[in-house]
This record gives sequence, structure tokens and C-alpha cells, in this order.
Amino acid sequence: MPLVAAFACAHTPQLLIRPPSEDRALVLRVHAAFAEVKRRLVAARPDVICIVGGDHIEGFFLNAVPALAVFVGRRAAGEFGRYRYAFDVHEPLARAVVEQGIEAGFDLAYSQDLPLDYAFYVPLHFTMPEPAVPIVPLYVNVYLPPQPTPRRCYAWGRTLRTILDARPERVALMVSGGLSHFPGTDRYSSPDYEFDRALLASLAEGRGAETERLTGAELDKAGNVELRTWITLLGAVGNARADVICYEPSWHHGNAVVAWPV
Amino acid sequence: MFPPASAYALNRLLFSLKSDPAFRDRYVADAQQVMDEAGLDAPARGALAGFDRDRLVALGAHPYLVFMAQLRLAMAREPGTFEEF
Repeated sequence: MPLVAAFACAHTPQLLIRPPSEDRALVLRVHAAFAEVKRRLVAARPDVICIVGGDHIEGFFLNAVPALAVFVGRRAAGEFGRYRYAFDVHEPLARAVVEQGIEAGFDLAYSQDLPLDYAFYVPLHFTMPEPAVPIVPLYVNVYLPPQPTPRRCYAWGRTLRTILDARPERVALMVSGGLSHFPGTDRYSSPDYEFDRALLASLAEGRGAETERLTGAELDKAGNVELRTWITLLGAVGNARADVICYEPSWHHGNAVVAWPV
Repeated sequence: MFPPASAYALNRLLFSLKSDPAFRDRYVADAQQVMDEAGLDAPARGALAGFDRDRLVALGAHPYLVFMAQLRLAMAREPGTFEEF
């Protein structure tokens, strides 16, 4: 059946484990936005959450770097500090995504054995309904150049939507990442807030298709390599007008939480 | 572009520091031993000693791996300074 929900969530680890350098009030405002996502997710009654994340060189290292990948193991588990996560995977849906994605011409990698990246469990920590529903982790390479192009990510999102709409389950699509941040570089303390704000304004007007024309260089320049997961979702939701639940720019990271009608 | 192949051992060590708690503990206990086992050359060892980001990146380390390895080490050394939710 058609998608029942679509969201994009920041996954900044400082939202989960806050160092003293992080503004507590800001973090709590992002948590409040996550709580709103959770409310809407609960109302949508999904059977499964398909969550698209950019790997932070966690699941995949330089020994093997897929552009697009699907996790088809039984459980998706990861740890961060004292947090331990383990999510059931919806195996029939995961397999369908791989099989039909390949049929549609996308050279997807798949794995049955990966540690789950914080890109997945940070948003799920705050938004997973109770009782928990199974997930399907989908990966987009964002950190190891050359990454898939925005055009390719958008096209993958379009195909993904077709696959998910044809399923019997109630599927919620979530993507995580962004917005502007420059970890590990000299620009760490000056994200491109202007880019983020202009982007969110265009998404609110339903102009998400414009992201298809962004180049990798433009994403690099804006500190938005992770936007590739959003672009995947935008391929799935087309010209739906975004509801920007929050944009909370910290000193090093533009934290956005957005919902789309489906 | 992706890191040069010559930096693979260094990136592998940074990856393990980031992602493998047991490896991290061993490094905190005896960094020299761990670097010996990783087969790092002198410039890499020197850059790692002070966790000099610019030197590490100049040697081919992925900036994100440097960043996160350092963060995870800090979390292991000073867990009490972080608020959990």
C-alpha cells in the first residue's frame, strides 16, 4: 500500500550523548521535534520503518564501499558509549527492496552482517514507536568519495517509492543526516546555515526535485554530503510540500527535522 | 577522493579506535604496542602520538576517522562529562 509516513531527521550524536560544549536547550528542542515525529509515526501505524542513512565509516570501511546498500540480516545492532541497540529487521521487505531494486537497474550491495551506524539508531532512539516495529536499514555512501551522485540518489528514491507502494505492509520512510556540518575540518565551527535555510524554504514549497541537479562539489562546499539521504527521500515524495518541524543550528551543526505528507 | 592506499594501515587503526571498544581499551593501555602490531611507520606514529589532525590527514588519514577516533577515545577516558538521554 502507499507509504504511510515520510520524515527526515538529524542524527547528530551529540543529541544522544551531550558533551558540555553542546547547548542543552537546543538539544532539548530537537528532542521535542523528534517527539513530534514519534507522535505522527504512532498515528500512522507503520508495520515497518525503512530508514535510509549515510554510513559513517562504521558498517563499511575501505575494504568495501558500496554506493547503495541494503541490510538483509535478521537483527540490526549497534552500540555507542553505554547505549546498546538491536532492531528486528523486516526480512521480506529488505529482500524485496534488493531484488526489485536490482531488477530496476540499481546495482545494490547487500549485507547480512553489519554493525548498525549511529545514523540509524540516533533518530530511532527518539522516534521508534512502542511496541517497536521492525526496520529495513538502507545505506547511501556519503563519506567515502566518490559517492553516488544526487541524480542517482533521487532516481533510487523514485524506484524505492514504487517498490514500497506495491507492498502489502504499511511502510514509513525515514531518512537521517544533515544538515550542514563539517566534521574533522577547519570549518567545523561555521556550518553553511544559509544553504540549509534556503534548502528548507525550497522543500516547504515542494521544490525538492531541484536537489537532483546538485553536484557532489556543491554538497561538499555546503557541508551537506549527508544530504544524499534526503535527496533519496525527495525522489520518493516528489513535489510534496515539506513541513519543517524544526531547524536548530548549533555552533557546528544545522539540525533539521522535517515531515512530508504522503 | 578516497584516501591513498599507502594510508590503509593508518586508516584501519583509526577505524578500529572508533569502532572497536576492546581495541580502544588496548590502545589506551599501551598505544606503542598497538601501533607496533598495526605496522605503522614513524611519521604515522608521530602524528598519532599527539593526535595531530593536520599531520594525520597529510599522511592520508580520512578526516572523519580522525575526528571520530578522537571523540570515542575522549568518551572512553572521560565518560562522566557527557549527558545521556
